[in-house]
Amino acid sequence: MLEYLSIVFTFQSLITILIGTVAGVAIGGMPGLTATMAVGLLVPFTYTMDPTAGLMLLGGIYCGAMYGGSIPAILLNTPGTPAAVATAIEGYPMSRQGRGGLALKVSVIASFCGGTFSAFVLLMFAPFLARQALAFGPAETFLLALMGLAGIISIADENTSLIKALIAGVLGMVIAIIGTDDMSGSLRYTMGLVELVDGIDFMPALIGLFSMIQMLELAGQRQHRIDTSALEVKQKSEPLPPGIAKPIALGSGTGTVIGILPGEGATIAAFISYNISKRISKMKELFGKGNPEGIAAAEAGNNGCVGGSLVPTITLGIPGNSVAAALMGAFIIHGMIPGPDLFTEYADRTYPFILSLFVANGVFLIVGLAFAPYLARIALVPPALMVPVVSAFAVLGSYALNNSVFDVYLMIAFALGGLVLKKLGYSLEALILGLILGPIAEGGFTQGMIIGHGSPLIFIESPIAKAMWGLIALLLIPPLYSYWKHVHKPRREQI
Amino acid sequence: MSRKWVDRAVLALFIGMAVLLYASTASYPGIAKTTSANYVRFLAVFIGGLSAVQLGYSLLKDRSTDPLRLTGHLPRFLGLLAALAGFAVLFEPLGFFVSAGIFIPLVARMLGYRRKRVIFLTTAGVLIFVWLVFIKLLGVHLPGITF
Repeated sequence: MLEYLSIVFTFQSLITILIGTVAGVAIGGMPGLTATMAVGLLVPFTYTMDPTAGLMLLGGIYCGAMYGGSIPAILLNTPGTPAAVATAIEGYPMSRQGRGGLALKVSVIASFCGGTFSAFVLLMFAPFLARQALAFGPAETFLLALMGLAGIISIADENTSLIKALIAGVLGMVIAIIGTDDMSGSLRYTMGLVELVDGIDFMPALIGLFSMIQMLELAGQRQHRIDTSALEVKQKSEPLPPGIAKPIALGSGTGTVIGILPGEGATIAAFISYNISKRISKMKELFGKGNPEGIAAAEAGNNGCVGGSLVPTITLGIPGNSVAAALMGAFIIHGMIPGPDLFTEYADRTYPFILSLFVANGVFLIVGLAFAPYLARIALVPPALMVPVVSAFAVLGSYALNNSVFDVYLMIAFALGGLVLKKLGYSLEALILGLILGPIAEGGFTQGMIIGHGSPLIFIESPIAKAMWGLIALLLIPPLYSYWKHVHKPRREQI
Repeated sequence: MSRKWVDRAVLALFIGMAVLLYASTASYPGIAKTTSANYVRFLAVFIGGLSAVQLGYSLLKDRSTDPLRLTGHLPRFLGLLAALAGFAVLFEPLGFFVSAGIFIPLVARMLGYRRKRVIFLTTAGVLIFVWLVFIKLLGVHLPGITF
């Protein structure tokens, strides 16, 4: 481990982490820009970098952006990222009361604790899980992809119906079959386009679905004024309130566990942590009026998601959420296929990357404590300037990976098509998950069928396969139950 | 156009795609007949079935009349799309720097930003940043004029 630490504590690595984290905080602080967008945009550019440095840069952005969203949420009532919405509920009233300094302090400390705890879980748990993956054959690999797809069901929320989330996931898998068939070597659904022979790269899709769509939405938004009144209120300096450790610990644990579950994101982690904290708090009546416990739970929750989401991503190749999916793209373009190899053959890259997350958490802790009130002004950058700049980077990022203008067209097509699907209630996270897991599922399925001489029994015979079916059922039951409750609620209420 | 009808049209499109996908597996050659073809059939049945269920649900239950609003400001939305398409077309013949030098100020103006000096400084800042970081530091190859 000392050897890996020495890689992290070189001047070049520390500067890379610093740049990534500060950029992440700034991006997270701009409403409309998210961690997925930033990581997705930058993945192609890390292609020419040293792989370890590239991953550290992206890891820093991920950590920084998760925290950065809380700053404008607290001071301007404008969450920088969707994961900071719960923080705004408590943070902004505190700022109006002149207690914004305390809110910012609680936010950065909770984010640090959540992020550090989840990075520790990643460091301890990931190698163990990756070792188990050595026992996986094609059938288990197929089931693993199914397990990832089971996460699609939990993506469904009030904006996306359960069936539509599943359709989006399968649509992603259908898009993934375009290109050369590995079994026969023949071309499938390429429409005579040479650019589709190798299939559709998921990076242009990711940039289109998560970066460009946001720009199209921002461009089409009516101008709205951000309330800057809290910036003029004199903020007093206060010590941390007693008992704040409890919601931080709760948020850290909840966020990490939720992050590990495929498909669950930081927004859900923040809200679940916030709600649990509200339920068990001795000061329930203060929630919604400016309770630091709510900020602590929500921020520890969304930052806890960072390390958690990377556990299934780098061990099993199942991204925990959309940011992890983008990061997985970075691993893949550097030839590091998620799985046990990352902890053996590529250990000198993977462990420094994990260790760099601890440093990134330390960096945003210092940046947050020292500069948070000033960073809130980033949120005031007008969308009319942000949109062309981010769009230019989206075009550049789509092009740079394969030096292909076709990928730029693909990115625009995904953005437009994705926007229509989003407005109709389809989940774009499910679509990208399907696109990533599709080839894994197909590889496992086809090889499993060959080994099983055409019999599907191979997918249920081994003890691991049986355990995985059990896990899939466990993943499906809670969201299906809550969906059932959600669907039947109005009827019961009418009765 | 109403959201409900666009939704139904998209679902019908998915069903049509599923039928074509299923039918296409008949022409899979060799070993793919018993492997990849089965996988594609599985996907076709899954997406077709789910879309049919959703379409049936929509036909029976959906009485909404709200329109599909892709954007709150259509001219700006279409303008950005057109500018993006233009950027992509000009990307190779003119290179990144010239096309981005046109694209950024054009879109900023189109979206209603009027402070010329800020637009100029932002555009120059982006171009210098790309040149320094991507060309000089990372060695990314970009088409067009090189410095």
